[in-house]
Amino acid sequence: MRPATLARLAVAGNRTDTLRTILTALSALLATVAMLAAATVLTITGWAERYTNPLLIEPGLRPGVSATLILVALPVLALAGQCIRLGAPARDRRLAAIRLAGATPRESVLIATAETAVASLLGSVAGLVAYLVARKVIDRPALPTDILPPAPVIVLLVLLVPVLAAAAGAVLMRQVIVTPLGVERRIRTRGPRPWPGLLIAAGIVLFAVPTRLPEHINLSKNWVYAFLGSGVMLTMVGIVLGTGWISSTAGRLLRRYGRGPATLLAGQRLITDPWNGSRTMAALLAAVIAGAVALAYRELLATEFRYYDIYNAMMGSTDGGGMGAAEAPEFYYGAIRLVVVAVSLASVVAAAGVLIALAESIVARRRTYAALTAAGVPRRTLSAAVAWQTLTPLIPALVLALAAGDALVRLIDSEIPVGYEFRDCVAAGYGGCEAPRHPEMAQILHVPIPWGSLALLGGGALLAVLVAVGAGLLVLRASTDLDELRAG
Amino acid sequence: MSERSALLSGIGIARSYGATPALRGVDLAVGAGEIVAVTGPSGCGKSTLLHCLAGILRTDSGTVTYRDQDIGLWSEAARSRLRRTEFGVLFQFGQLVPELTAVENVALPLLLAGSGRREARQVAAEWLDRLGVGELAEQRPGAMSGGQQQRCATARALVTQPRVLFADEPTGALDALTGEQVLGEIVRVVREQGTSVVLITHEASVAAYADREIVLRDGVLDPTGLGLGVGR
Ligand SMILES: Nc1ncnc2c1ncn2[C@@H]1O[C@H](COP(=O)(O)OP(=O)(O)OP(=O)(O)O)[C@@H](O)[C@H]1O
Ligand SMILES: [Mg+2]
Repeated sequence: MRPATLARLAVAGNRTDTLRTILTALSALLATVAMLAAATVLTITGWAERYTNPLLIEPGLRPGVSATLILVALPVLALAGQCIRLGAPARDRRLAAIRLAGATPRESVLIATAETAVASLLGSVAGLVAYLVARKVIDRPALPTDILPPAPVIVLLVLLVPVLAAAAGAVLMRQVIVTPLGVERRIRTRGPRPWPGLLIAAGIVLFAVPTRLPEHINLSKNWVYAFLGSGVMLTMVGIVLGTGWISSTAGRLLRRYGRGPATLLAGQRLITDPWNGSRTMAALLAAVIAGAVALAYRELLATEFRYYDIYNAMMGSTDGGGMGAAEAPEFYYGAIRLVVVAVSLASVVAAAGVLIALAESIVARRRTYAALTAAGVPRRTLSAAVAWQTLTPLIPALVLALAAGDALVRLIDSEIPVGYEFRDCVAAGYGGCEAPRHPEMAQILHVPIPWGSLALLGGGALLAVLVAVGAGLLVLRASTDLDELRAG
Repeated sequence: MSERSALLSGIGIARSYGATPALRGVDLAVGAGEIVAVTGPSGCGKSTLLHCLAGILRTDSGTVTYRDQDIGLWSEAARSRLRRTEFGVLFQFGQLVPELTAVENVALPLLLAGSGRREARQVAAEWLDRLGVGELAEQRPGAMSGGQQQRCATARALVTQPRVLFADEPTGALDALTGEQVLGEIVRVVREQGTSVVLITHEASVAAYADREIVLRDGVLDPTGLGLGVGR
């Protein structure tokens, strides 16, 4: 097969395929821009007083800024992954027909992957162009438009998305066997088990290591980051994979206790494809966990600021000469607000992914839906089934994500005693301990659980999905048109 | 037809889907240029037999021999290559790629085999002409009638000048008159080319075009051979 033939067969498609190509390219573009921006921030060295943005000046804060930008890139990448499934039935039929004409199994995988790879390469090259143009247009002092990441890093980042997309596509193709007679899916017969719970536990343990070490063991800063980071990652992966188990359990409960056809249909779908939820919701759940961590950390910081205030008041120092944060708390809150903005952005992108997945699953089963409507099942019942099927696993998964995010930060500190420093200092036998002027102010500060903002975060994520479900139901309306029964 | 001079032969072909046996030991030989009709009631295993002979399905036991080679031992890729060089496949419907135009569909096996786009399109256009649908070259299958689609599919099955054509109810979805016409075209062209044909059909009028008829019942050959009445 010549490259030209490969290209022609890879781009052959109907309107859904075109939509998939555009969405894939678009998400590659966004992800590439976000990653290039993250790399640019990391390229800044030392104290960078030339910028007006305090987040860029301080070397200690820039990794956080980069991490936030990457956090935005992740759901966009997940969106690209979602796109791969879009229009799959038509593509399956096309690949089978090409196999029948004599394409080997390897060629059919190549044709299927080439489209994704080419679309995302176009997208990431467009992303590079957009980034270079933006550098010229945006003014200097606010943003780092005066430096570029090293050339190899740029090349790597531009290639990263297409390579990841092609790899993801190839992995997905491993789950199907394209025969000349059609596409067979290798179905897993065993339902999901609750093992991902162990991953969550392992994540929490890893996260706890640096916070619970005895005083005399000093981990280097990099090790602390590694433990905290991998702890958060493992927890995220555990929750995303655990959604498979949550889905099948929710499906079984719906079938057992549900009344009426909607819950029955929804329960059956959840049991048949329990992984749908974790595929679809992965990005959203990851964003919610990150958001919960940020909100909980904000609460921890607030408690620390209160600690300094009380401590200074106790010691009688009033004129700012006491202990405390060098900058105004507003600065740190600003950084956290940035993370929350990133999480919101990520959630919107993730909700778009949910919509795509939902529309795809409805379109893939449109004949069934049309046949059910023809047989007299009211549209309302079908809509209710779609809503049940999406929301029943989502709500427990969201609660778990919020709880895990908050719990991780509470591992660092859930209460901070203030006013016992003098007693501890004396007990330890140090000299020169300074007695407080107001010892009666000694107390234990509890880090509160930010119920309000956590509820807001969870509610926001839920709302985003509800909007996506609403839009998906419009697709359902179009799909239950009885004409679909006759459409080839 | 002696086993020896057979171009394609199956010996003791058995194949089941899970616990359901579809074929239970079928012997069959097709000589060069011979048209063999396979008939029998619905569900007796005709399509399964054709898929096994064409190397689309592997047999559970028994061998399929093409030009003295046991193709059951070949890899999936090698059997795919056989389909785009020596074999042509024609189904009732569904073998055209809906997203490609008629001429691209016909050119597909040539392109897969490594031909350049220009030559492949030219050869494909000639074949469309030969089957009387030359003016539809730039249409997609969705915009064609059933008969036109089958002519296109025939052009695609024959474009590589295969030695064997496997046709599974090629006119089954067409009305009687169109079916007659399309089948007439197919037979005319394969006779010109000297292509062997395994032709599955339900209809006596179709089986009548064949040199020989074999009858399947419940996955085995009917020894009485009382089928639709060819050659009697
Ligand atoms: N993919 C499959 N999975 C399971 N069973 C199958 C499959 N394909 C065919 N069968 C079974 O194998 C048997 C033979 O099927 P086959 O399609 O070969 O029959 P046929 O003679 O071509 O029938 P028809 O004339 O209706 O096309 C049937 O009992 C059928 O139910
Ligand atoms: Mg059949």
